[in-house]
Amino acid sequence: GGGSGSREAVERLVRAHPVVVFMKGSPAQPLCGFSNAVVQILRLHGVEDYRAHDVLQDPDLRQGIKNYSNWPTIPQVYLNGEFVGGCDILLQMHQNGDLVEELKKLGIRSALLDAEKDQDKK
Amino acid sequence: RSFASQTDGEARVTRVLREKFPRASAIKVVDISGGCGAMYEIHIESEDFREKRTVQQHQMVNQALSEEIKSMHGLRIFTSTPKP
Repeated sequence: GGGSGSREAVERLVRAHPVVVFMKGSPAQPLCGFSNAVVQILRLHGVEDYRAHDVLQDPDLRQGIKNYSNWPTIPQVYLNGEFVGGCDILLQMHQNGDLVEELKKLGIRSALLDAEKDQDKK
Repeated sequence: RSFASQTDGEARVTRVLREKFPRASAIKVVDISGGCGAMYEIHIESEDFREKRTVQQHQMVNQALSEEIKSMHGLRIFTSTPKP
């Protein structure tokens, strides 16, 4: 396919890593509050190794990712190549424990599990 | 905030949601962009969402508001089902 926003190009990106995020800005410097929320939630779980794509750098990708997921907004979180949702859904998953479970399925142990263990010792 | 002070945008989005989700038991639309119509927060409770994953529920709202979303900068969606 042609162009960074094509279905084929996006498919390659979402499958490149267990955790892929399309956001505004970068994890080191998010440029939107909702993108920042995604970065912070992943950080809380100790997930620092993931692919992040700054859609502000690539208008074709910015539109292409919305076409691919049929979802109108950024950020977008993909786990194991599957679209999970945006910031609100990730926050909900974080609050209800689903994110810990989904990360476990990817072979990623959430840092929060260790944090809980430490608390139990006190 | 009283119902009478709803913005035009909030009223329009609410109307579209009422049409597309006639079974909805509760709909609340709030302009969180300071009245600019740029960003909305949508709360909707309906039987239509039962047994569906959250992302599917949000997709249903996205589809219902596909026209309105074109002129929005962003939106936040909170879906729920009525207590049985």
